[in-house]
Amino acid sequence: MAAASTTRGKYAVLPQHKEPGDPDERLVFLIEKAKSFFPKEYYPLWKDSCNRLAQAGYGTLIPLSYARHSPKLVKLLNSEAAINLAATVSLAAIKVNRATAELLPKAAVIAAHELQNYSSFIAWINTIEELIQSAPESVLAVLERTQKIVTTLTPTQFKSWVLAGLRSTGDDTLRQIQYFSFTDPESEKWFRHEAGDVVYTDLDRKLKLYLISLWNLRPPIRDLPASTAPLSLRRISITNGVVRVPEVFPGFHGEQAEKIFRAGLAHVGAHLVYSTKRFPLGELKPIQVALVSLLEDARVEHLAMQVFPGLRKLWLPFHVAKSNGPKLVPLLLARLSRALIDENYHDGDGWIQKGRDMFFDSSNDMSDPIMCRKIGVLLGNDLGQLRAQFNAKTYVVEPPYRDDNMGLWDFGDQQGTEEDDQGIFIEAMRMEQQEKEDSSESDTEREENDEESEQQYHARESTDQEQRESEVAVRYPEFDYLTGTERPNWTCVVEYFPDFGDAYKIERILETHQNLVNRITNLIQSANVSLPERLHHQNIGESLDLDACINAIISRRMGEIPDPHIYSTTERKHRDLSVMVLLDISNSTNDRIPKSGTSVLELEIQSTALLAYAMSELKDPFAISAFCSDGKEDVHYYRIKNFGTDYDSTARAYLAGLTGKLSTRMGPAMRHAARDLTLQRTHRRLLLVISDGEPSDIDVKDKNYLVEDARKVVRSNSRLGIDTFCVGLDAGGDNYLHKIFGRKNVAVIDNIDRLPERLPMLYLRLTA
Amino acid sequence: MNLDSYFIAEEPYYSPTHNEIQLFEAAYATRMPMMLKGPTGCGKTRFVEYMAWKLKKPLITVSCHEDMTASDLVGRYLLDAEGTVWHDGPLTLAVRYGAICYLDEIVEARQDTSVVIHSLTDDRRMLSLEKKNEVVKAHQDFQIVISYNPGYQSVLKDLKESTKQRFGAIDFDYPKADDEAKIIAHESGIDVDTARKLVQISDRSRNLKGHGLDEGASTRMLIYAAQLISQGVSLEDACEVALVLPITDDHDIRNALSSAIEACA
Repeated sequence: MAAASTTRGKYAVLPQHKEPGDPDERLVFLIEKAKSFFPKEYYPLWKDSCNRLAQAGYGTLIPLSYARHSPKLVKLLNSEAAINLAATVSLAAIKVNRATAELLPKAAVIAAHELQNYSSFIAWINTIEELIQSAPESVLAVLERTQKIVTTLTPTQFKSWVLAGLRSTGDDTLRQIQYFSFTDPESEKWFRHEAGDVVYTDLDRKLKLYLISLWNLRPPIRDLPASTAPLSLRRISITNGVVRVPEVFPGFHGEQAEKIFRAGLAHVGAHLVYSTKRFPLGELKPIQVALVSLLEDARVEHLAMQVFPGLRKLWLPFHVAKSNGPKLVPLLLARLSRALIDENYHDGDGWIQKGRDMFFDSSNDMSDPIMCRKIGVLLGNDLGQLRAQFNAKTYVVEPPYRDDNMGLWDFGDQQGTEEDDQGIFIEAMRMEQQEKEDSSESDTEREENDEESEQQYHARESTDQEQRESEVAVRYPEFDYLTGTERPNWTCVVEYFPDFGDAYKIERILETHQNLVNRITNLIQSANVSLPERLHHQNIGESLDLDACINAIISRRMGEIPDPHIYSTTERKHRDLSVMVLLDISNSTNDRIPKSGTSVLELEIQSTALLAYAMSELKDPFAISAFCSDGKEDVHYYRIKNFGTDYDSTARAYLAGLTGKLSTRMGPAMRHAARDLTLQRTHRRLLLVISDGEPSDIDVKDKNYLVEDARKVVRSNSRLGIDTFCVGLDAGGDNYLHKIFGRKNVAVIDNIDRLPERLPMLYLRLTA
Repeated sequence: MNLDSYFIAEEPYYSPTHNEIQLFEAAYATRMPMMLKGPTGCGKTRFVEYMAWKLKKPLITVSCHEDMTASDLVGRYLLDAEGTVWHDGPLTLAVRYGAICYLDEIVEARQDTSVVIHSLTDDRRMLSLEKKNEVVKAHQDFQIVISYNPGYQSVLKDLKESTKQRFGAIDFDYPKADDEAKIIAHESGIDVDTARKLVQISDRSRNLKGHGLDEGASTRMLIYAAQLISQGVSLEDACEVALVLPITDDHDIRNALSSAIEACA
C-alpha cells in the first residue's frame, strides 16, 4: 500500500515541473520544491541538513534521495522526523555504504506511512541505527524489506527480531546477511514468533498428548518451515504414517491458531484410525480425486464424532463456506464439505444436495471407505458435465485444518504415464517422499526420544542432526534482558561422552593431600549426622520412656495432670541433600597460576576430587558435570558422575580426563544441570557451580546478555527449590558473580592455590 | 472381647469383574493369606468389605503409612490408673478373636512391619508379642489380606521377596467400560449414558499413563465426578474438578486432557 502511494506521489508531482538533468541543479530544484511542505521555522533547518549531506562527500545520490523523500515525513509525522533523519542517513553513509544510505529515506517514508506515530517511528529509526552499528552489512537487506516488516511487526517486536538475529548469528557476517534477508529459515521462524503467530513448536507437546489421550496415537510429527513449503504443503500432510505440519497457519493468531492446530491433528487422528486402506488412483480424474478425498474427510470425521461428539464443536467453526457464492469448483467443494458436517447448513444448489443425500443415504456403510469412491466418481462426472473448470495445480483443500489427503492415495507405478493434471499430485508426492528419505532416520530417533522428553521436562528433546559423538541434545530457552522475554528453544545443550583420563590421578590427589583428607574425615565424623539418635520425652514413639512414665505416674498420684510425653523413639537424622557440582572447563581454565604453575583446571579437578571424597563419605547423593560452549547451538555438557551411579573408577577417570576448551555459556548448562536436580526427591537440592570467569561465548558480543540469562536461571532454580551456589575463582569476579548468584551465594577464592582445601570445607559449612 | 462393631451390617455394593469372588471364597476356606493387586481406586477395599460381609466375618482394616511401626500393628503398653496395661493392636485383635485383617497399602509401612506378619502367614499361624512375652495362636476365622499397588512403588518400597511369596494374589484392574458405567451410575445416581461418557473420558486419561501421568483416572475419581454431576454441576466442570486438576500439575497435560474431555462431551 505505502509503496504504491509513494511511487504514485513521485509521478503525480513531477511531470508538472520537469526535473533538471544535472544532479546539482536537481538538488536545488528539490530543495526549493519542498519549501511548501515545511512550516516556516523548520524549513531552514531542513535545508541545512540537505546542504550538509551534499557537502559531506557522499556523492550526489544520497542528498538527492534525502531531499526527495524526507519532506513526505512532515505530513505523515512532523518536521523533526524529516530533519533528524539526516543524521541517520549520514551514519549509514559512513558506517555502511552509499546504496544503503540512499535507500534509507525511502524506507523511512514507507515505515512512517505504516507506523503513523512519531514515537513508533523513532523506535524504528533507533533499531535501524543499532543495526547500522552492529551489523552494517545487513542494513540494506532490512531496509529493502521495510514494507513486510512494518506491516507485520510493531517497533518493539522489530527490535526483538533484530536482536534475535544478532544474538543467533554472532559475528558471522554471512549468516547475518542470510538472517536479515530471510534466506535463513530461522529468520522467518523468529519473525513469526515476534509477530505473535503461534508456531507449531509452541504447541508440540500439548498436541502430542492430545492425540495420545484421544486415540492413543503417537505418530511422528514434523513441522515444515512456512517459507520453504510450497503452496500445496500449507496443509497438514500424512505420508507413510509421518505427519507433517506447517509451522504456522498464516492468518490464525493466538487461541484461533491453537484451535486450528488442534482441529488439524484431531482430523489426522481420525484418518489414522479410520482411513485404513489407500485408494488406488486408477483412471480417476483430478476432480474425482479431490472429491473422493473430500468425502473421505467427511466420512472419518463422521465416525470420529460418533465416538467423540465434542469434536464437532472443534471442527465446525472452520467451515465458513456460504451458499450464495459463485459456482466455482473450489467454492463448491468447500460448500460440499460444510454440507456434510453442518446439519444446520442449507444449500439450494442441486449438486450439493445430491452429494449430501448420497453421503447420508442409509444404505451407506460409513465404516467402508468404498462409498466415498463411489459417490466421488459420480459427483465428479456431474461437475464434468457442467463443464466446471478445476485446476489441480492451484487447488488447496478447504477448510485449512484438513490435510492434503495425499496419504489416502495409492499412486502405484503409474508415474511414467501421467497426464499433466495428475502429475501434480505425483510431483507433490515425490517431493514429500524425498524429504521423508532424507529425514527418516531422525524421525525414528525422535520417536524414541519422546519417551524421555515426556518425563515432565518442559525442555524439548531432539536428536542431533549432525554426526556428533553425543548421547542427547536438549534445547533450552534463553533470557534476553533487552526484551525482557525468554526466547524458546534458543540454545542447544549437547551431551558428549567425557574423555577417559587416569583414574589413579584422582587417588594420587587424595594421597598428596593426606593431611587435608584426614581433616575432612575428622570433620565428617564429628558432624556425622547419620548415627541413630534416641529421642526421649516424645508424644508418640515405639517404646516407653521409663523416666517420663514414672514422672507421669507420680503426677497422677499427686492429682496433677500427667505429662503425656512418655514415649521414646530412635530416629536417624539423615542428611537430606543432593548436590550437583557443575565445573566450568572453558579455555580460560588452562591459565596457569603464577605462583605454583598449576592450571586452574588442574586445581578444579583436585578440589572436586577432595569434595567428591567428602560427599561420598557423607553419603550425600551427588553428581558431577562439566560444561563449556561453542556458540548457542553447541553447549558441551559432560556427565562425570550421575546421581544414580557410584563414584567409581569410571567417574574418577572421567574427572581426570577433563580438558579445558571453548567458552563459558553458563545459563544453558545450569538449566540442564537443574533438570537432573529437580528429579531428586531430597529435601534440599544444591547446584554448586565452580567457575573461573565471566559468562561469555563466541557468538555473543554483549557481555551483559549471558550474565542476565544466568541470573534468570538462578532465580527460576530457586522457584524449583534448587539452591544455587557459586565458587568463583576470579579475584575480580565479585561483581558479575554477585549479580548472577546474589551476594550471599558466592564464595570468591582469591588465592586459587588454596581451592582444594577450601572447597570441601566450604561444602561442609554450607550443608551443615 | 467382642468384635461386633467390626461386622459389616449391610451389603456393600460390589460388581464382580471376573471370578474374584469364587477365588476369594476358596482362599478363605483354607485361610490362605491373600494379596490384592491393582491400581488405586479400582475397588480393592470395597471388594474386601464385600467379602467380609458375604463370609459374615468381622473385618479389621489398617491403612498403612510411612510412620507405622510394628507396635502400631501388634500393640503396646499403655498406662492406666493402676500402672501399665497392654493394649492389643489391630492385628493382634484380629488374630486373637478371629477377623479378616486387611492391611491396605502395606508397602507404605516400615520394613519391620511386614516381617511381623511372617509367622502368621505360614503354617504356624501365630503371632508372638515379644514385649508381653506371649504367643497368640491364630483364631480359626483369622485371615490376613494385604493390598499392593505395583504401579507407583519405588525400588525402595517394594515388598520383600520372602513376604511376597507367602500370599496368593488376585489382580484387579478398572472394570470393563459397561461395568464401570453401571458402577458409576449406581454409586452416584446419575444416568447410565452420562456414566458411560465419564468412562470414555477416563479412557482418555488412562491413555496418557506413562506419558506424563503415573496413573489414569480411577473408578473412584469417576464416581466423584459423577456425584458432582448429580448435584447439578456440568460434565466439563465436574471432570475439571474431580479428574483433571487432581491428577496432574503439568500444564500441557491438563490442556490435552481438558481438550480431550471437550471432544467427548
